[in-house]
Amino acid sequence: MTEQSSVIDVQGLTKSYGRFKALNGVDLTVAKGEVHGFLGPNGAGKSTTIRVLLGLLKADGGTVSLLGGDPWKDVVELHRRLAYVPGDVSLWPSMTGGEAIDLLGSLRGSLDEGRRKDLVERFELDTSKRGRQYSKGNRQKVALVAALASDAELLILDEPTSGLDPLMEQVFQETVREAKDRGVSILLSSHIMSEVETLTDRLSIIRDGVIVQTGTLDDLRTDTQTSIDVVLERVPDATELAPLESVTINGHRVTASVDPDKVGEAMKVLAPYGMSKLAVEPASLESLFLRLYEETRA
Amino acid sequence: MTTAPAIASALPTPHRDRGATTGARLLLRTSLKHDGRLMAPWVLLITVLSVSSVIAYPLVFPDQTEREGLQQAVAANPAIGLIFGPPTDLLTTDGFNAWRTLALGGFLAAMGAIFTVTRATRVQEDSGQAELLASGVMGRSTRLLTGVAMALIAGVITGVLAGALTVLCGGGAEASWLLACTWTVTGWMFAGFAAVAAQIGADARTSTALSISTLGTLFILRGFAYSIEAPEWTIWINPLGWMQETQPAGENLWWPLALGVALTGILLAVAFRLEGSRDFGQGLLKPGPGPDRGRARGPWGLAWRLSKGSALTWTDAFVLLGFIFGYFATSIVDLIEPGSPMAAALAGGSGSADVLVASFLVMILSMIGIFAAIPSVQVMLRVRSEEMEDRVEPVMAGSVSRPRYYGANVLLALVLPVLYMAVAGAVVALLAARSDLGVEFREVWVQAMTIVPAIWTLVAVSVLVVGARPKVAVAAWAGVVAAFVLTLLGPSFGLPDWALGISPVWHVPDVLLSDPDWTGLMWVSLFTLGFTAIGFAGFRRRDLAVE
Ligand SMILES: Nc1ncnc2c1ncn2[C@@H]1O[C@H](COP(=O)(O)OP(=O)(O)OP(=O)(O)O)[C@@H](O)[C@H]1O
Ligand SMILES: [Mg+2]
Repeated sequence: MTEQSSVIDVQGLTKSYGRFKALNGVDLTVAKGEVHGFLGPNGAGKSTTIRVLLGLLKADGGTVSLLGGDPWKDVVELHRRLAYVPGDVSLWPSMTGGEAIDLLGSLRGSLDEGRRKDLVERFELDTSKRGRQYSKGNRQKVALVAALASDAELLILDEPTSGLDPLMEQVFQETVREAKDRGVSILLSSHIMSEVETLTDRLSIIRDGVIVQTGTLDDLRTDTQTSIDVVLERVPDATELAPLESVTINGHRVTASVDPDKVGEAMKVLAPYGMSKLAVEPASLESLFLRLYEETRA
Repeated sequence: MTTAPAIASALPTPHRDRGATTGARLLLRTSLKHDGRLMAPWVLLITVLSVSSVIAYPLVFPDQTEREGLQQAVAANPAIGLIFGPPTDLLTTDGFNAWRTLALGGFLAAMGAIFTVTRATRVQEDSGQAELLASGVMGRSTRLLTGVAMALIAGVITGVLAGALTVLCGGGAEASWLLACTWTVTGWMFAGFAAVAAQIGADARTSTALSISTLGTLFILRGFAYSIEAPEWTIWINPLGWMQETQPAGENLWWPLALGVALTGILLAVAFRLEGSRDFGQGLLKPGPGPDRGRARGPWGLAWRLSKGSALTWTDAFVLLGFIFGYFATSIVDLIEPGSPMAAALAGGSGSADVLVASFLVMILSMIGIFAAIPSVQVMLRVRSEEMEDRVEPVMAGSVSRPRYYGANVLLALVLPVLYMAVAGAVVALLAARSDLGVEFREVWVQAMTIVPAIWTLVAVSVLVVGARPKVAVAAWAGVVAAFVLTLLGPSFGLPDWALGISPVWHVPDVLLSDPDWTGLMWVSLFTLGFTAIGFAGFRRRDLAVE
C-alpha cells in the first residue's frame, strides 16, 4: 500500500436508520499521526460515523476510506491495524477482565505483553473479576487496556473515559500521548473539554449529521473573543477603551472582551491607567462549544 | 427517634410507606402495559393448542373405527406417553384434547411464568433497568411482587381464555374448564419456582437455567413414571403429576388443583422471605474470582468459552435423557407381551417384533435428537443477543471477518448435537444392548448418529433466521417446533407422508433393518446447505446491532 497522508478520509457520508437520516453528508479527514477530536451534541452522529468506519454499518452514500482501504470490504486486514474503545463497555458476564483483554488482543492479532502488564498496573485494574462484578469505570479500563496494549496504527475512541475518575483520566491522557509518540493516529470522540484541549491536534464538530467546523483549536478560536479581567488604578471612561468590547466597569475592576489579534493594542490602551491583577484568557472551550453547538439549533 | 414516625403518621399523604411492597400497584400497571405483550404468545399458543384439538378431532377422526385406530396408534407408541402422559380416553373429543394438551399446555404455561418472573427481577437487575426503579419510592419486594403478580395474572388469563374458547368451540364444559385450570395452576406453581430460583442464581442466566431445568426434570420424570408404570408415590411427589391426576374427561377430579395452589403459596412465601435479605443483583450462589489470563483467542474460542458452562449442563441432561429413554426402551419387551395394547397394534400392523423394536428405537432417538437441536438454536440466538447487548462491536473491531465470526458460532451449533447424540446414544445403546431386545451396542449408537444430519437441518433454520432476518428472531425455533409437533402428533393425526416429511427427522433411515434408505437424508442435507448459505449471505450484508 502506498504511503498515506490521511488515515481516515470520509467524503459525503450518508446513513439512515430506517427512515431517520442520522448522517447527511459527513466529511472527515484524520491525518496520519495526529490526535483528532470528534465532537458534537448528543445524537449528532458521532457513534454512527464511527460504526461505519468500523464496518459495522454499511454506508448508504459517499466515500469512506480507512487506512487506505474500504472499511466495509477489507474488514480483516484493516482491523489488524486499528483498535477501538466504545463508551459503553459491555463485558461478557461470565468472563474475567483478563480473559476479555486477552481475547480482544488476539482478535486484533497483536498484544504487547510488556505494555499489557504496565497498563494493568497503571490503571490499577483487577483482572480476575468477572464482567458483572466490575464497576462502570473499571469496565471502561478493561477496554482501554486491551486497545492501548495493541500495536494498532489507529485508535478509534468513542467517549473512552466516560466514568473514569480524575486520577485515571490523567493516566489515560498520559497513555494517549505515549501512543501518539509511537506514531499512532487517534480519532477521539469526547464530551470532556479538558481532554480535548490537552490531547487533540485538530478537531471536527458534527451537528445533525453534518460536519460544521474542522480545524485546530486556534483556528476555531480565531472568531471568538479573548476575555480581559483587570483592576486599574484610575477608572477610565468606557468610551476611551477603543478595541475593547462589551466593557463593564465595577469600581476599579474592568472586564471586557477583545479580538484575539488586538490583545496587544488593548494592553497599550490599558497601560496608562495603571494595571494590576491582570488576566487575559482565550475564550474557554466550554463557551466556544456552547456557541458552536447552539448555532445549529437556531 | 420517636418523633419521626409521629411526623410521618401526621402527614396527610395517602401514599405513605406501605412497607416492602410500596409502589407495587404503579409498577404493575406500567409493567403490564410495556411487558404484557411478551406474555401474549404463551397465552395464545396454549389457547390455539386446545381449541385446535376440539375443532380438528371430529374432522380428522369422524367415526368410531378411526378413533379406535388412533387409540391403537398411541398405545403402540409408548414413546409418545413420555411426553404426553397416559391417554385417559381417546374416543371422545374431550379425552383427546386432555391427552394432547394437558402436559404440553402446562409446559408452555410454566415457561411463560418462568420468563415473566425472571424478567421482572434478575434480568432487569443485570441490565441496570431495575436500579432506576429501585431508587424510586419502592419497597424491597415490590419488583418481585410485580413479576409474580404478572405471572399469576397471565395464568388466570390463560385459563379463562383457553377454557372459554374451548367450550365455545365444542369442548365439554367440565372437562375443558378443569383442563384450563391445570394450566393456570401449573403457571402459578412455576411462578413460585422461578421466584425462588431468582433468589438463588448468581445472575439472570443461572436463575433462568435453574427454573427451566426444574421444569424439564419434573416434566420428563412425570412421563417416565407413567410410562413404566412406576409406583404411585413417584407420581404424587411430582407437582406435574398432580395436574395429570385431575384426569380431565376421565374422573374429573378438582382437588389435586388445591395441592398446586398450596405449593404455589409455600414457594412464594419462601421466595419473599429470601428476597427480604437478598442484595440487589446477587443470589445465594456467588461466583468466585476467575483466571486473570484468558485462553479464548478468536471467534471460535469465544463461542466455545461462552457456551462451555451450558454445554456441560446439557451433556448431563442428555446422559439423564438417554438413561430415561434407554431404560424405557428396554421395558418395551414387557409391553409386547400377549394381551398388551402394543401386541394388539402389532397384530393389526404388518411388522414383526424386530421391525417394531427398530422403529421404536428410531422414534426414541429421534426425540432425543429434536431435544439436541435446542442448545444449538440457543447458540445461534446468542449471536443476536451479543449484538443487541453491545458486545459484538469490540469483537468485530478486531481483525475478524463476518463469515469467520458467524462461522465459528455456526460450527459450534453443528458440533454440539454430535456430542449430545454421541453421549445420549451411547447410554441408550448400552441399556438396549444389555437387555433382551436383541440389538447390539454398535448398531444402536450408529442409529443415534444418523439422526445428526436431520438435527443440522433444524439448526440451519436458526442459522438462516439470525443471519438474514434477525428481526423475527423467534422464528429460529420454527424448525424445532415443527419437528416436535410433526414427530409426536403427526402420526396420531393421520397426516399424509408428504406432511410428515416436512420434518427432517422423518427421513432418518432405519439402520437397524436391512437396506436402510439414505436418499431422504441427502435431500434434507441440501436444505441444510441452502439455509446455511442464506444465513451467511445475510449476516455478511446486514448492519450489525440495528433493530
Ligand atoms: N440503532 C439505531 N436505530 C435508530 N436510530 C438510531 C440508532 N442508533 C442511533 N440512532 C440515531 O442516530 C442519531 C445519531 O446517533 P449517534 O449514536 O451516532 O449519536 P452520537 O453523536 O454518538 O451521540 P452521543 O454523544 O449521545 O453518543 C441519533 O439521533 C440517534 O437517535
Ligand atoms: Mg455516541
